[in-house]
Amino acid sequence: MNTNWKAKLGDRIPVDLGREIDIFETQMELRKQGKIDERVFAETRLRRGIYGQRYDNSQRHDGEKIQKLKIAATGLTKGPDTVWDAPGMMRIKVPFGGLNAEQMETLADLSEEYSDGISHVTTRQDIQYHFVHIEDTPALMRRLAAVGITTREACGNVVRNVTACPLAGICRDETFDVTPYAKASSKFLLGHPDTQDFGRKFKLAFSGCAQHPCGLTSMHDMGAIARSRTEDGVERRGFELYVGGGLGAVPYKAQLFDDFLPEEELLPTAQAIARVFARLGEKRNRARARIKFLIANLGIDKFRQMVDEERRKLTDDPRWTSYLPETREPGETPLKTGIALNGAERPEGFDAWYATNVYRQRQPGYVATTITLPLGDITAEQLRGLADVARRFVNETVRTTVDQNILLRWVSETDLPELYRALKKIGLAAPNAGTIVDVTSCPGTDTCKLGIASSRGLAKELRQRLSEKSFELDQAVKDLRIKVSGCFNSCGQHHIADIGFYGISRNIDGYTVPHFQVMLGGKFRDNAGAYGLAIGAVPSKRIPDVVTRVTDRYVAARQKGESFQDFIGRIGKKETKAMLEDLMKVPPHEQAPSYYSDWGDPREFTLTGMGVGECAGEVVSAAQFTLAACEREIFEAQIRFDAGDLPGAATMAYGAMVHAAEALIKTQNYDVPRDDEGIVAEFRRLFCDTQVFYDKYMGTTFADYIFKARDAMQHAGDIDKAVALQRLQEAQLFIDAAHSCYNKLIAGAVVVPAPAVAEARSA
Amino acid sequence: MTMEVQRVNVKFFAAAGCGVALDSFVRVFNSWIQGTDGEYYDLADYGHVPAGPGVVLVADEANISIDNNGDRLGLLYSRKRPLDGTNREKLVASVAAALDYCRRIEEEPALDGRMRFRGDEALIIVNDRLFAPNNEETFSALKPEIEALAKTLYGGTSFTIEREQEPRKRFAVHIKASAPFSIKTLLESLRKNVN
Ligand code: SF4
Repeated sequence: MNTNWKAKLGDRIPVDLGREIDIFETQMELRKQGKIDERVFAETRLRRGIYGQRYDNSQRHDGEKIQKLKIAATGLTKGPDTVWDAPGMMRIKVPFGGLNAEQMETLADLSEEYSDGISHVTTRQDIQYHFVHIEDTPALMRRLAAVGITTREACGNVVRNVTACPLAGICRDETFDVTPYAKASSKFLLGHPDTQDFGRKFKLAFSGCAQHPCGLTSMHDMGAIARSRTEDGVERRGFELYVGGGLGAVPYKAQLFDDFLPEEELLPTAQAIARVFARLGEKRNRARARIKFLIANLGIDKFRQMVDEERRKLTDDPRWTSYLPETREPGETPLKTGIALNGAERPEGFDAWYATNVYRQRQPGYVATTITLPLGDITAEQLRGLADVARRFVNETVRTTVDQNILLRWVSETDLPELYRALKKIGLAAPNAGTIVDVTSCPGTDTCKLGIASSRGLAKELRQRLSEKSFELDQAVKDLRIKVSGCFNSCGQHHIADIGFYGISRNIDGYTVPHFQVMLGGKFRDNAGAYGLAIGAVPSKRIPDVVTRVTDRYVAARQKGESFQDFIGRIGKKETKAMLEDLMKVPPHEQAPSYYSDWGDPREFTLTGMGVGECAGEVVSAAQFTLAACEREIFEAQIRFDAGDLPGAATMAYGAMVHAAEALIKTQNYDVPRDDEGIVAEFRRLFCDTQVFYDKYMGTTFADYIFKARDAMQHAGDIDKAVALQRLQEAQLFIDAAHSCYNKLIAGAVVVPAPAVAEARSA
Repeated sequence: MTMEVQRVNVKFFAAAGCGVALDSFVRVFNSWIQGTDGEYYDLADYGHVPAGPGVVLVADEANISIDNNGDRLGLLYSRKRPLDGTNREKLVASVAAALDYCRRIEEEPALDGRMRFRGDEALIIVNDRLFAPNNEETFSALKPEIEALAKTLYGGTSFTIEREQEPRKRFAVHIKASAPFSIKTLLESLRKNVN
């Protein structure tokens, strides 16, 4: 079936994306044949955006007992403890959240055919589908590729989606439009060799200004805030660059790396940072593998110095600056002339929507409107409807937002009443964007293997209760933000909400009871300027009361103009906790059984549904990856041989040997020569001259295969069947020997002598 | 033209006046999960999405949902795993499975008979834009099978078959009978005429 989509879409699939998907399909095949280790395959699929989902170990607690799920399994796994046929999550990268109408239509189609009809907007501007079968993923990826979307590196230990303020380019307060920079960074870092060997993920965000929250740069591994300054009468663009921020269990606020990084230095600096992270970042202990820990260990000054040194070593890459002319061109054009909204008739409900969902753009006569999505969810029908709206009212200028909403940009103000009617028709005209009603949530126990409590269930409940009384809420309360995570990992960004919650559990009289930790006073503004204060654990079912109590107290006791953060700071943790103390109690099971199940989930609560998360990916070294790639190349070489393409088979077999040698070099030296001549020479010096690549019985025989093949490649004569077959067989033996050498190196059974390594590193 | 039909979805709509909140189905489906052994994987609750997929019971062979797409509540059976047999057999099998789930819901003790389905209208969707694009060609190829299916369901009662005309949507037909039918009657007709 997948092959047919390939045929049908033909050259609509860009060659490079098509090739990557073909490779992934081959890797799936090899995994089925047991030729790729499950850990390596897990990281491989994660890097294609294919993520595990709760219960994919084929077990589910039904509230009374654990059931073994009837999954059409053959014992095959797609990762440790992850059944091949179990449905999973598919994450689709949407750089800076930018989508056009055709892409929305495709997303709609795919959600219907491969998922459950819902496209979910994440807190990092991605789109996610749930309950996707791995066998459908190549077709899904090809259909996305045909409209210019890749899922590559959406998960795994790589550079994740590059985010940016959804208002970039139209914002009244921005220094300049960061969109082209986000786009260029995304393109440059995707699949870059220097970003393939991280111990954990790396997130990058752009913001057009320092004071607003849209970019959330302070909570990113690398955050860039637009800056400009005048030098010799010439205005120069650059970035205030921050590094080492991150939420998760231990939130770190990013530290200033450079107060003005010139624009032409953005990409090389990102590359240098990636290289330092890849080389020195923690690889074994995933809990401490984010770059924030490396920076904390080294200190920002030392880290900066190392990045500067690395930067100086880089050879020029034209891509660093080739995009810069685009940054001075208008990125988007409006469809219509911008005309003010002049006394046009306003449909019912319009005013409330206008008050919260319409943003006046910098460009006169134009506004951006927020499409509020409940919990980030949008149906296929709505997405198609929105594609129509995007064509009818704007020039398909649409962005997803970190609030899990969608922004329609460049609407002529005079069109607003008509736009409102059109949105209402497709159920997308809900008001309250950016208010306390617009609760953000991660997937939590609905689908995430790490989820402890039901963040979506709670968010749904809060949303419903708050929207019912939104008209009577005090404006100061309306302006607050609630964010919920299913566990301490903070995908729902609870640290930066005025009122944040994350899922935990407590044992009460032998029962496990779902709770949320209450976090108050985080700061969404100033690019996630401050993290909230943990107040205490409250049973899930009392969380709506927490919201009511805290907001009522704020309204009653705040001083004139006092922000929520200042209010919480003023009354202090002790007093705040005392205010919530009675809500923290859990009545006995027989009195109040509802406390013992979670929101939206009638099962009696247990933690048995939790599994090992894949957020961090499998920590698979670049060397292991390269070795896995060799297996695929040998497989493809065999296919070419069977098809009668003998020169192709022989060349590919040689290429596989070169990559195997490269994998071994990577264990000793981060910088690997880029051509086969350099790789073979380095392999000889590091592994053959030192007798590390040496077989007890065969001596240097396997190593000689690569030298022989290289000679043959240089003096290429006719390749007959026998020669090609021999090359294939020798390549397989060489790769097997490379695996064995790698294993010995990792186990410490052999060591490359230090002088040879030092020489390699200084070369 | 021969056309291989797989991934058939079938929806029967709620009878007028059925006012059961979607939340109730979370509890019902959960009890179904508890009552079987590993048949169903999970639940997805989309009750918060207007005119959305409602509450979905996820399984390997097919998902079952109380679906509200198009703002019309109903039971949707979404076949995922391939079926054997002719196209007609696959259509019949999918419709039979959908009807059987409707019956189960109607008889569900927790719902107290408050949820009923109308049998005079069925929506059949082929959830595969590659093999069944939504066009006249697909319709011509499948029409005989769909007519045969409608005759099996409705016997001598007249019916209409309308194809979904929005080209971006999946291939879908509404079969509408000119007289009311209960789910029970349709199930009996299928049993009688197919075996
Ligand atoms: S915060 Fe926890 S529950 Fe939520 S998506 Fe992240 S890992 Fe999963």
